[in-house]
Amino acid sequence: MVSKEEILEGLAKAVIDGDEVKSEELAKKSLELGIDPYEALMNGCNKGMAKVSELYECKEMFVPEILLSADAMYAAIDILKPHLKVDASAKKPAKVIIGVAQGDIHDIGKNLVKMMLEVAGFILIDVGKDVPVDKFVKKAEEEDADLVTISALMTTSMMYMEPVIKQLKAKNHKAKVIVGGAPINPDFAKKIGADGYGKDAVEAVKVAKNLIGA
Amino acid sequence: MVDKMSPAERFHAVLMGEKPDRVPINPFILGFAAKIVGMPLGDFYADGNKCFEAQFMCMRLYGYESTPMYGYASCGPWEFGGKIGFPYGEGHSAPYVIEHPVMEIGDIDKLEVPDSDKPVGGYVEAQKVCDRCTQMGMPAIFQGGSVFTAAAVVADTSKFLRWIKTEPKSAHALLDKVSQMYINQIEYFVNRYGAEKCVVFDGGPVEANTVISPQRFEEFAFPYMMKVHKKIREFDIPVTLMHPCADQNLNIPYYIKLRESFNWKGIYAWIFGPETPLKTQIEKFGSHDIIGGNVDPPSIQTKSYEEVVQLCKENIEQGMNNPRGFILCPGCEFPPLAEPIKPMAFLDAARQFGVYK
Repeated sequence: MVSKEEILEGLAKAVIDGDEVKSEELAKKSLELGIDPYEALMNGCNKGMAKVSELYECKEMFVPEILLSADAMYAAIDILKPHLKVDASAKKPAKVIIGVAQGDIHDIGKNLVKMMLEVAGFILIDVGKDVPVDKFVKKAEEEDADLVTISALMTTSMMYMEPVIKQLKAKNHKAKVIVGGAPINPDFAKKIGADGYGKDAVEAVKVAKNLIGA
Repeated sequence: MVDKMSPAERFHAVLMGEKPDRVPINPFILGFAAKIVGMPLGDFYADGNKCFEAQFMCMRLYGYESTPMYGYASCGPWEFGGKIGFPYGEGHSAPYVIEHPVMEIGDIDKLEVPDSDKPVGGYVEAQKVCDRCTQMGMPAIFQGGSVFTAAAVVADTSKFLRWIKTEPKSAHALLDKVSQMYINQIEYFVNRYGAEKCVVFDGGPVEANTVISPQRFEEFAFPYMMKVHKKIREFDIPVTLMHPCADQNLNIPYYIKLRESFNWKGIYAWIFGPETPLKTQIEKFGSHDIIGGNVDPPSIQTKSYEEVVQLCKENIEQGMNNPRGFILCPGCEFPPLAEPIKPMAFLDAARQFGVYK
């Protein structure tokens, strides 16, 4: 008989190893054993992904490995999510609009940030890549977003971050803006009026948490 | 100072290992040239003749040392029958992939490697640029890599990055085909212009250590880089421009191994990303190879003329006494949206701080 601890540890390990099959198998097993799906997510998958973040930060894991870890994590989430109990009294998680700046189709970095923010408990609304300025603003309004995160990989597309910030400010929207991507640095982020800058996906999560006081 | 050499003389001097009058400049200008001459960026990449004309006008306007070339980071998909888009849209900077020729593992087997009897995809436009250059006594510069970056865009990029872990054999099969495509296109250009007039440009961003580990670089990028460079050496192409794009500090041992494998033969010029200190480059390559400066491209776009002059000054002071020579460059393509005064910042800095006594 497999214990609850073994299942949770196994889930964490499957995520770290990027083992989608094992992750699915253990998520199903956790339901069969009556383990609270929230606990399986938090103490299994998320624990694994926290380790992935740590390994990425100290350059022991790289993008191919993280993509597979994400696959393993989402495989488990797909199984566990329908069984999560909704707690109406719980604090609502912060909503984040995420996308790649206009003119830019490079979305691997954006997808990593998205995944890590989801793991950290944020609700993500992904507006995709090559996103026009107006779309970021419109979506932030529609969703009453707490954060808008924009990535850019080109010196041409990074120029479309500032107009998003300006438009949100002109509308007095509450959303804070985090920017990131290869050509961006803290000086540029400050210059365009961004509320935060993330040099990578792990830092983006820390900045996001700070900005919303989580 | 007043220049004592022409741009061609200056560039030739540094290639030959002689001291020029001052530090030469390769501003890595592509899309910026389109803006300067008032040409849509899409036209610049869609038509090799326009690409040549914009760059030729821009080099005459500023008087820097580099000559026109055709190339962009997403080389590969078009050459294998995929579909690319030209940068006509807002925020675009270079051609981008619309349809990857490889979407599933099974597509790799079906992929046909173009022969060496004709140029394909972007090489058709590159040939137009090279024809015009060679007619005017300039070198024919064309892409010969990087194989890893090209494979990562021939296939859907995020799938390819997964396959190097989950389907390594298939990833190798794709890398092998891409390397052969480069070799065949290099052979075509060598046959057309003669090896002595050719310059190969090799570089790409997907092998950066923000994406893959040095171990994956060793397994998946290095063997195919070696394969292509072995042919470059066999063809006896005199000059190779290497651009390990972005942060490739952990891959440096493999670039050294590449050069050591060929006993440091041929003239190699390195343009690393701004993440690699010039001191490191000089230490590792400087006795044998030319080092290109690596002024931070976003700073060129966002900082003032005076600040860019200062960045160039620092770069020149660190690099100009490299034993095998130094060229002032940005650490990647000159930002297309930079103000027109910015190449002048490079020239002014070279004339003020880069004079050889």
